[in-house]
Amino acid sequence: METPETVPLKKTDAGHAARPQQFAQAAVTESSEAVISARQFSFFYGAKCGVDQVSMAIRSGSVTAIIGPSGCGKSTFLRSINRMNDLIPGSRAQGVLAVNGHNVYDKRTNLVNLRQQVGMVFQKPNPFAKSIYDNICYGPRLQGIRSRGRLSEIVEKCLRDAALWDEVKDDLHKSALALSGGQQQRLCIARTLATRPNVVLMDEPCSALDPIATARIEDLIAQLKGAYTIVIVTHNMQQAARVSDETAFFCLGKLIEYDRTEKLFTNPSKKETEDYITGRFG
Amino acid sequence: MKTLLRQIQDKGFTTASAGAVLLIAAALLVVLIPMFGRGITAVIFTETVEFRRLQKDLHGRGDNEHLARALADAAAVREPIYTMLREFSEGIDTEPLVKQARDVYQKYGEYLNYHNTPKEQYSDYRKQAKDVRDGLVDALESDDRQTVLDDLDAVLKEKDNPAFADSPAMEFFAMAQRYKKIAETVDLSHRAEYLTNLQEVTAAIRQLLGPLPGEPTPPLWMDQYGATRLDMALKARAALLYDEQWISDGPGKPMVKHIIARKEQFAGTPLEPLFDRVEADWDKLLQPRLRIYWQYFFDDWVNSHYFGGVGPEILGTLLLTLMSMCVAIPLGVISAAYLVEYAGDTVWIKIIRMCINTLAGVPSIVYGLFGLAFFVVTIGAIGKPCILAASLTLSILVLPVIIRASEEAIRAVPQTYREASLALGAGKFRTLVLVTLPAAGPGILTGIILSLSRAAGETAPILFTGVVAMGPIPNFGSPSQWLENPGSLFGWLFQPTRALSYGSYDIAVGDRISMLAPHQQFGMAMTLILLTVALNVAAILIRSRLSRKLRGC
Repeated sequence: METPETVPLKKTDAGHAARPQQFAQAAVTESSEAVISARQFSFFYGAKCGVDQVSMAIRSGSVTAIIGPSGCGKSTFLRSINRMNDLIPGSRAQGVLAVNGHNVYDKRTNLVNLRQQVGMVFQKPNPFAKSIYDNICYGPRLQGIRSRGRLSEIVEKCLRDAALWDEVKDDLHKSALALSGGQQQRLCIARTLATRPNVVLMDEPCSALDPIATARIEDLIAQLKGAYTIVIVTHNMQQAARVSDETAFFCLGKLIEYDRTEKLFTNPSKKETEDYITGRFG
Repeated sequence: MKTLLRQIQDKGFTTASAGAVLLIAAALLVVLIPMFGRGITAVIFTETVEFRRLQKDLHGRGDNEHLARALADAAAVREPIYTMLREFSEGIDTEPLVKQARDVYQKYGEYLNYHNTPKEQYSDYRKQAKDVRDGLVDALESDDRQTVLDDLDAVLKEKDNPAFADSPAMEFFAMAQRYKKIAETVDLSHRAEYLTNLQEVTAAIRQLLGPLPGEPTPPLWMDQYGATRLDMALKARAALLYDEQWISDGPGKPMVKHIIARKEQFAGTPLEPLFDRVEADWDKLLQPRLRIYWQYFFDDWVNSHYFGGVGPEILGTLLLTLMSMCVAIPLGVISAAYLVEYAGDTVWIKIIRMCINTLAGVPSIVYGLFGLAFFVVTIGAIGKPCILAASLTLSILVLPVIIRASEEAIRAVPQTYREASLALGAGKFRTLVLVTLPAAGPGILTGIILSLSRAAGETAPILFTGVVAMGPIPNFGSPSQWLENPGSLFGWLFQPTRALSYGSYDIAVGDRISMLAPHQQFGMAMTLILLTVALNVAAILIRSRLSRKLRGC
């Protein structure tokens, strides 16, 4: 999967340093390693509790998998990180969920900046009905980048990072919807990278893909590791075991266990985790 | 067994639904085909030389030389017909001759005065002339051939009278001579009958060939030309060649229609050969040939749609429709976007949504009356029926349709699209403008297509608010006027206009002249349908391009 053209991923892009990181000033004193840290974080849909008193810290540059049975709150937790849950009427949050030390649920949080810092890839590939080029440029254009040369640079870099460049470099102005499902998902990843996030959230990014496309996405995650902090929600435990450094197991809205992946899958410390990963759950 | 039943059920349902669709299609064709079939004759028809003459006079179309040659050809065969008619009518319709005889007598008196005739001689000559005149008038007014011939002979005896030599009175004898020839051939006892029939024949010839030579030019264009189309010419020919009479076979018996050939009615008279001549020279008389009168869609009409086309009506309809769309589309789409994306689900929004749904079902005449009361009367700036008031009324009419269709379309955009945009850091408004609305485009366009046809075809809302049956074409001014007074750029908004929908109504019920030209009535209806179809096709093409783009092909 490693292509010779793939440039080494380094966050040395000048734009990154220049980007203002204006977050609410509610600083959370955590280890500087932790990009995302939750403390007693709860999330409610009306009266129903989606995420219950979760506390965890996610290391910068790591890949963290969140596993758990359906309805356990793992997606809710993931979507809380860039506040995508705001769209649901009657939802509210409690506790602290900090990204880069700033509570995202603070009133002063600038959603646009937050979401540019915390990108998201969704379960189903959802490219816009525009050209590949325009899909990638969507984020940068929102940030006010207009120069064609600059945009073309971003497009190429992001597509290379997403290991899609070789496949589409001649069709940049064709509709993104003409791509295959796996390509579309990689395009969505590239589109997310174009806003230069610190964190990339992936909500079951491979559940709509076939094994080959899944393998390519997993390779891609491995490549992106280090440059980006990746949080991935998955139903596929093998996938979690393959791609992640740390794994969190959620059940009924609670964080049951959070540990290094190797340890969690080989020697879980909680009974529920063991039941779940060995298939004895429920 | 159960499977079989299910299969039968399935097949039955398929057949029934296909049948329903076919039925609708058939009904549509039953309505549209005759309308198109007759409407198309306003555009494609067999023209006559009269039509070419009309086009030349009215619009300067056609080649001068060709037309002159064609007219000369026609005149060559028309001349004998006119001559026959004139000579015969002189024998039958003697009233003009009597008047002429009196005129001649008066002129003779003036002639005598002019030549300073001595007084005694003057009264003597006058008396002699009076005798001649009376003899001639008696002959002209008598029905009995023998009396007529005797009277005429008595008049003709005076021919060599020196009193009349080289004077206007010589005209008496020329008249007597001519009338004698007629009296010898025509059965004068049936003069009244001939006279009625002759009037019908003359009217038919006028219809066929235009005004007779020597007649003053009629004031109406429609009377200045003969039959301009073959179908009208054939009607006139039938009236010329055959008389239709309702005759009862006896007392108490019902009247029965009899078709009597004019040739038999005029058997034995000098007019008899006229009818054969018309039939024999038919092609030369009118020189029919196929014409595609595409200018129908651009020409103004003449004499209440008797001639001409529907150009101003098309222009007016386009102006009204497009103007109303210009108002209704932004308003409707913005309202729909607000209702879906921003409004939430409160009681007030529910009430508003219910109001919109109700408005969609309000009869169009109610909108018309509202438009009259509000846009025309209440809003002083408009103040009179005009394009602006009419298009605003139309836009209110179609607004609910657009709002509902757009609402559905915006709601149908997958949530993942919005999420993708929001996750990339776009705000709500940008997401709406850059992602949601483009994705909802085809659905919104469907609503626009529906309302476009409705706006183009509605009559009631524009009836009181800005449309007229006849009136000037909207005046857009000229670039120099716009420079001088920029306000004049919008002057046309404040003028009334004609429209196809109201025109179709007017031409069908209110206009007696246009009823003589049914092809015009059907032509207008056909044009309205064509225009609507054209607008729809344009919108559908845009929509298919949009959705192709959205599907990524």
